[in-house]
Amino acid sequence: MKTAAEYVEQVLTKHVNEPNCHTLDFYVKNEKGYEALRKALTMKPSDIVDEVKKSNLRGRGGAGFPTGMKWSFMPAKPVDANGNSKPKYMVCNADEGEPGTFKDRLLMTKTPHKMIEGMIIACHAIESNKGFIYIRGEFHKEIRIVQKAIDEAKAAGFLGKNIMGTGFDCEMIIYKGAGAYICGEETALLNSLEGKRGEPRLKPPFPAQVGAYGMPSCVNNVETFAAVPYIINEGAEKYASFGIEKAGGTRLYCVSGHVNKPGVYELPMTMTLREVIEVAGGVRTGHTIKAVIPGGASCPMLRADEIDVKMDYDSLAKAGTMSGSGGVIVLDETVNIVEAVYVLLKFYEHESCGQCTQCREGSHWLARMFKRILDGGGNTDDLDYVAKICGNMAGQTICAFADAVTGPALSSVKKFRSEFEDLIRNGGLHPDKGMASSHAKEGAHV
Amino acid sequence: MSNLHEHEIKKPKVDLNYSSDKKPVHSDPSPEAKPLPKVTIDGKAYEFKPGDTIMQVAERYKIHEEIPRYCYHPGMPIAGTCRMCTVEVEKAPKLMTSCSTPAGDGMIVHTRSEKVLKSRTGVMEFLLTNHPLDCPVCDKAGECELQDYNFEYGPALSNFKEEKRVYDDATTKKLSNDVTLNMNRCVHCERCVRFTDDVTKTNDLVMVNRGWHKELEATTEAGLTNEYQGCLTDFCPVGALTWNDFRFKKRSWFLSKKPSLCDGCSKGCNIEVHSDADIVYRYVPIHNEMVNGHWMCDSGRNSYHSYMNPLRVTSPLMKHNGELHATSIETLLTEVKAQLKNASTVQIVIGTDATREEAALLKEKVPALIGKNVAVSYFNGTNGVTTAADDKKLDNLLKMKDLTPNTRGVEEQGLAALANGEISADVVIYFRSGRAGIPKMKADQKIILWGVWSLEEIKSLPSKNILAVIAGHATIEKAGSYKNADGIVQKFHPAIVHRGGALSAHQVVGVWQSLT
Repeated sequence: MKTAAEYVEQVLTKHVNEPNCHTLDFYVKNEKGYEALRKALTMKPSDIVDEVKKSNLRGRGGAGFPTGMKWSFMPAKPVDANGNSKPKYMVCNADEGEPGTFKDRLLMTKTPHKMIEGMIIACHAIESNKGFIYIRGEFHKEIRIVQKAIDEAKAAGFLGKNIMGTGFDCEMIIYKGAGAYICGEETALLNSLEGKRGEPRLKPPFPAQVGAYGMPSCVNNVETFAAVPYIINEGAEKYASFGIEKAGGTRLYCVSGHVNKPGVYELPMTMTLREVIEVAGGVRTGHTIKAVIPGGASCPMLRADEIDVKMDYDSLAKAGTMSGSGGVIVLDETVNIVEAVYVLLKFYEHESCGQCTQCREGSHWLARMFKRILDGGGNTDDLDYVAKICGNMAGQTICAFADAVTGPALSSVKKFRSEFEDLIRNGGLHPDKGMASSHAKEGAHV
Repeated sequence: MSNLHEHEIKKPKVDLNYSSDKKPVHSDPSPEAKPLPKVTIDGKAYEFKPGDTIMQVAERYKIHEEIPRYCYHPGMPIAGTCRMCTVEVEKAPKLMTSCSTPAGDGMIVHTRSEKVLKSRTGVMEFLLTNHPLDCPVCDKAGECELQDYNFEYGPALSNFKEEKRVYDDATTKKLSNDVTLNMNRCVHCERCVRFTDDVTKTNDLVMVNRGWHKELEATTEAGLTNEYQGCLTDFCPVGALTWNDFRFKKRSWFLSKKPSLCDGCSKGCNIEVHSDADIVYRYVPIHNEMVNGHWMCDSGRNSYHSYMNPLRVTSPLMKHNGELHATSIETLLTEVKAQLKNASTVQIVIGTDATREEAALLKEKVPALIGKNVAVSYFNGTNGVTTAADDKKLDNLLKMKDLTPNTRGVEEQGLAALANGEISADVVIYFRSGRAGIPKMKADQKIILWGVWSLEEIKSLPSKNILAVIAGHATIEKAGSYKNADGIVQKFHPAIVHRGGALSAHQVVGVWQSLT
């Protein structure tokens, strides 16, 4: 069994197991710290954008939008109605909340400077002087570490006024979220950043026109920023060579669930899902895989016989699922799929922002329906109705949350229908205990 | 005001909540002008102004009834959250919300394609999963958008087998003395939140919690504090917010609805008078962009109570043996004539709540009938307002300082304001229709009251020498016109029939003339 490092150069996580890897000293000494920034500040902003475009870097937050293209959408010289020039903002989405995803957390605790350096370079590329780092509220430790890293960088002259004597100013502000999953959606994040309810905005206008505080803004994921210093240092071609034609570089996969060595693995996108699971030690000894969620909770799940799919964006899309945020959740044969999906649906029911009708009512309905099936009140008609509810939800709302809800719900009914039918026939998960499963016991009120 | 607008209050053909003044637009016919863009909606091409959304184009051509909506309201910012107004736009991958999608030149829109209808049925089914079926005891029944759209788009059956969502204290929550919230009925369109945020700018309401148990709350313990709370209950598409004054009084389908004007202040908000058997149950604003937009204030909304007051004088009263007694108008006018003949000085005071026609009548005809030199002046009586020049806006919306509807219209007659607000002649005729104040007077002054009066008001007058009361019609019972604070002249017709013995000013003058 090969380790991750044998598959590909560890662009992001080479030093994460070494002591003090989060400090500026370590970063400068071992990882060419802030050399990329020095180089980038001598480049024209448009050249940086071109370099990132050439690297085929795609957003690592889940949607996989090409990063260079996103940066190029930023208006060059935005002006308001009175002709005064408007500031532009760079926003880092560190609101990592997708169940099964924990890669940004690793980057923030272990190599915060990589992210910060990448973000300063990005600020230079879009000619912005201010960056907001929106960190999920539960990440107390990460907030402390990133704040300390910002302070260190400032003291060393990599942040603040006149960086390295080039005349470029850049400021970085941490904003602590309040723990809503939906604030990981970029426009909900911007609303939350402004102090409003974390509810996704209607698009258009897109954040590149009207973003944080009404100014043109660009929102990128932590992992995306962390890849930028490498691209500048080593060149776009080298970074692109780790990936495939339309998606360059390495990816962090968060393998969790029933594997022998759960954790974050940096791997090329050319691998299959089965190989990724093998790198994480394979399914736990003595058990077999039942299902795999390949990219965080909102992706449709795959059966054990479907995991020979390549892990790049397009192959997974062809297999009817998504590459998402890279959270691979492995479920072995001991798991009851209905119960597992109910746990996810309960999460979605709780986290729907409640603006759009379909999402607010549909996520609630699905969660209650799955609970009823678990408790033994199910009916085979319900299974047909899941598809109908999901059909009414998907693609009809402001953001992609409703689609995320339908992912696990619909795929589980499609691929594991017999499990549902067993529950319906046997009168629930624990027919002897009456109203049963430990999750189902938690009452109707969340 | 240089440009005078004169227009008649008409009942809008469409639902009150949605009325819009948007007019069709036409391209400049000259050859060098650029033609307006066109959008095709359901097979017909419509010209529109660049920047219009699909919904606004539909409003221009009065085809917006084809597009159902909950969160959209023409007087508020666009939210795009209810997803009821989705339409199919050719070449767009998904259904688009017509309220927020800008119309484009050459765009082809279908409002009733199979895909659209399926989506609307889906939304209706979702909304109904948690909506209680309490229409029989719900005040909104009959004018409820959930009922209407469900009839049109809803699914025949629902497969929802779970328990419905129930909020704590849902049916008894008072947001203020005037508004009751039943959260179980709420469809979360958040019109109310946007109204207090963006229209009244008082930020009274907020949604707390998230997702399916999102709940409407007042931001402070004081509850609702804005003065336009009634509007919340007008545009609430369901019976979640109800107006206590109307709650449980009348089923909405029994109401007869006639347009009129609110006479509560100098704004002249356009209203619809909702009555049954000529008993008024509520006022509801009618959309008029030039005057009141979509709204009206609460004091105006409640002002119908003074006309429905059981102590209102509804037949001619005459002083006999020191007390006021009901009599016929002929007897009363004969006595009044005699009193006026003997008086050394006579004064007519016109309240600024008289219509322009009544003011003209009192100024031209009545002095001739009296047959001597009569001083005619007008009186406003609002605290701090003597003439129209003292009037000013009280807030950023509608409320005006002058609490009478026609100060400008009466001033038009070339009259002077009552000096010092004090009546001076031996015998004084004071005409008002229930809104103008009481001028200063001496205890023994002989007074003839005319118009809308209540027995409490008459009792509390400083003068105990009331010769007669000529009962008159209130604004909603008569026809006429008012000139509002912005110089707009608005005509109106009777909204209800007066069922008492009061007569219009013209009828009284007619009887008076017949006596001579």
